[in-house]
Amino acid sequence: MKPKVAFFDFASCEGCELQIANLEEVIIDVIKLVDVVSFREVMKEHSDDYDIAIVEGSITRPMDEERLKKIRNKAKILIALGACAHLGGVQKLGNQWTSKENKQIVYGIANPKDIDDNNPFFEKPKQRALDEIVKVDYVIPGCPINKNEFARVLIALLTGKKPPIPDYPVCVECKKKENVCLFTVGKVCMGPVARGGCDAICPTYGNECEACRGYVSYPHEKAQTDVLEKYGLTLEEIMNRKTMFTYRYIEAKKEGEKNE
Amino acid sequence: MKIVSKEDFLAFVNALIKDGGMDIEGVKSKDGRFVYGPLESASELRLDYDVTILPPKKYFLPQYETMMKFDLADPFSMKKPENQKKKVIIGMHPYDIIALRQMDSYFLDTDVSTTYLKRRKNTLIIGTDPLNVSEKAFFGIMGTGEVHSGYDLFITDLGDRVAITIGTEEGGNLLRYESKLRDAIDVSLCGSTTCYPLLSYDQLLQYENKLRDASPVEVQKVKAIREAASSKAMRGLKVKPVGWHDLLEKNYDSEVWKKQSDKCLGCGTCTLVCPTCFCYDVQDDINIDLKTGERRRTWDGCLLRKFTELASGEVLREDILDRYRHRFYRKGRYLPDRLGFVACVGCGRCSSQCIPDIADPVNAINMLFDSSQHVVKESLMDTHTIRTDLSKMESKDGDIDALHVPMPATLKRVEKLTEKETLFEITPDSGKPLGHTPGQFVEVSIMGMGEAPLSVSSAPDGKTFEIVVRKVGDLTTKLHTLKPGDKVGIRGPFGNGFDVDSLKGKNLIFIGGGIGIIPMRSLINYVLDHRKGFGKVAILYGCKEPREVLFKDELAAWDKLPDIEHLRTVDKCPDGVSWECEIGVITTLIPKIKFDPKSTIAIVVGPPIMYKFVIRDLLKLGMPEENVIVSLERRMKCGVGKCGHCQINGVYVCKEGPVFNYKDLKNLPEAFK
Repeated sequence: MKPKVAFFDFASCEGCELQIANLEEVIIDVIKLVDVVSFREVMKEHSDDYDIAIVEGSITRPMDEERLKKIRNKAKILIALGACAHLGGVQKLGNQWTSKENKQIVYGIANPKDIDDNNPFFEKPKQRALDEIVKVDYVIPGCPINKNEFARVLIALLTGKKPPIPDYPVCVECKKKENVCLFTVGKVCMGPVARGGCDAICPTYGNECEACRGYVSYPHEKAQTDVLEKYGLTLEEIMNRKTMFTYRYIEAKKEGEKNE
Repeated sequence: MKIVSKEDFLAFVNALIKDGGMDIEGVKSKDGRFVYGPLESASELRLDYDVTILPPKKYFLPQYETMMKFDLADPFSMKKPENQKKKVIIGMHPYDIIALRQMDSYFLDTDVSTTYLKRRKNTLIIGTDPLNVSEKAFFGIMGTGEVHSGYDLFITDLGDRVAITIGTEEGGNLLRYESKLRDAIDVSLCGSTTCYPLLSYDQLLQYENKLRDASPVEVQKVKAIREAASSKAMRGLKVKPVGWHDLLEKNYDSEVWKKQSDKCLGCGTCTLVCPTCFCYDVQDDINIDLKTGERRRTWDGCLLRKFTELASGEVLREDILDRYRHRFYRKGRYLPDRLGFVACVGCGRCSSQCIPDIADPVNAINMLFDSSQHVVKESLMDTHTIRTDLSKMESKDGDIDALHVPMPATLKRVEKLTEKETLFEITPDSGKPLGHTPGQFVEVSIMGMGEAPLSVSSAPDGKTFEIVVRKVGDLTTKLHTLKPGDKVGIRGPFGNGFDVDSLKGKNLIFIGGGIGIIPMRSLINYVLDHRKGFGKVAILYGCKEPREVLFKDELAAWDKLPDIEHLRTVDKCPDGVSWECEIGVITTLIPKIKFDPKSTIAIVVGPPIMYKFVIRDLLKLGMPEENVIVSLERRMKCGVGKCGHCQINGVYVCKEGPVFNYKDLKNLPEAFK
């Protein structure tokens, strides 16, 4: 019996699912291994009978929370797909402000009374990663995900191995590819603290790493801040780097402080 | 020394490239820096480079390497497709040649890596003098600015001419170019300028004649270029390599380590770009067909947190200070002690690529020197004291590294001992006994799942052997699903076991904690089988809870033996569980037996915390340190002393251990951490 797999999406661009749809020749092999029973982006059929739920997107509204819990109840294995599901995505940045402030920033204050309305889409718009609500068994990180890594995780699950998500910095793969370090050409990069596994794709093409796969366990954050400072970034610019995909860690620290 | 015109030299390189019989690699530019890579034309060659991003080690220990491919249905018919083409590497600076010679020593002096040897034998090295020196280089003061061996050809770019020194016969032959190209041209391409635009047939035939002896002025010029490079690469290092060993020995606890490592990102760059860092990690991948797979090797580095992570999740060098310091000690003390040379060649790659700028050996050594109260004593160990003679070594057949080939074996018996631990009796398919001594270990593989070092638990006799395995990672979990008749791969036995002969006639006290009883049992059973050969024997065994107790039937049998004393304890016993022995930590058993500490040997195996307290109590009773024998059996990795993970300070647990005499370990700060 092939395991039944269903894909779900919440607040996201659905680009990670698109990566899977784009697996090209490998997709045939994937279909041989699993039964895809639900995948809104590529098929009409849908079934609520599945073993593995692969969930993209962050959780925003109470109705999303309910839906996610239902998915969790039905699935034997739940996988968070991509940065939104893993870290809350770039939208997690919004948690720095109150919903009122967010509405003002986004829509302006032409109609001040609108800010206080009860539109359900603005209800408690706090962005959360999946594991802030339900148990997540495995994570496929990245914005977007690395499609080869998706295949590797699937293979691992089907062969009884722990999915091989690396826990070393992006620098490791970047060095192995013999890239010119961006720090040496006047750019700055989150590579030294960001979780690798992406094959350093951004630095390879000259783009600064923004830690879309989150940090490694135990990142040397202070050393990284010192380095960014040394390379001329202002405190505000440093904070921008640290909040792009990784506001989650700052938020967790703030929550921790509150609880102490 | 010979001289050839620059034009002819480049024509020679182009001829090599066009020939196609060999891979011609050389230094070229990449995004404003330099790298080694395949040359498509001699015009790409940059003999004026200062330093490359990665050292040429990548040709001999690639960043990623398929060690073997396998079919899960027939796992022991492993294959490895290896490119058999000869390689020529053009443009190695002297420091990189010396680093490569150090690499030779590492992979060839003991436990020969056959793939390394093959690649090395299959590669011609063309060295060159640095015309430009990187800002961070200090090879001048490291004594690595000049080499007199280790290359096949050595060239110096004199502008319109190139000076060539022939290092080996093969290098000389390359220059004479007695290769396929001439035959090819003879047959069909004679005179074709489109195929060989830079080298006419005529030129080719006369090539040898175009080499002339260097004039005294030209020899002088080469010397001047060489000296200029070295004098530019001094960087004010205050302690020469011969003093590093002593300086490091006396400053292990220096404040410098803390100060520097506070700034460390732990990104691993310094080890990855280092020409004398050789540590690697091995992993199995299964392909998407779920039928085939690969065992792969990739670079690892001691600055990375995961480097010292055990299957249990425990990280041995968790503190960045320990990891930062380890790298310097490996260069300046551990490898020198092991192989006789200082493992830093002054290329400056680590310093120029370290973002917080703390990896620089010049800075670290100078800071250490400035803060040290000690006078530095010089040793005989320098950067180029290398014994390995490659020319005397024969490359062997087979593409899979002999160090890493698992041999098939069959599970004969599988017996679940506790919730997590299972005993496996294994028969090597070769029909020969494993041939281990008590305390040694084997590498057990399941293709696609990986490999793990596991202590042999049975006494050394018979055609089978036993291991007892705790379910923790991918491999051990899979192993627990296997049944008698299933196949596993084995390598070994490895390591240093118990010195049985030195124990003969002695009184013995065994103190085992938790799964520490597993390797200890191989010696206990040996002793019980040869009971008359030993004095008094006592066995103390402690576990956390009754459900964790291993070998219950055997323990009960030991209880009945008249000539041994045997006590068991558990730290705690939950309500409702029956337990008829002692309750309390293992140390509480020691006062319960009578033994003369002076004439008794204690064999202690257990978790780190146990060593601390048990050894303390034994020494307090007056037992001499050399009477305590321990096994650090959790720390092994590749088994052959190459991958680097098993190091505690300078000791390789896979080679010198896992069994040690306590007095040899007590001064190693990392031993019982």
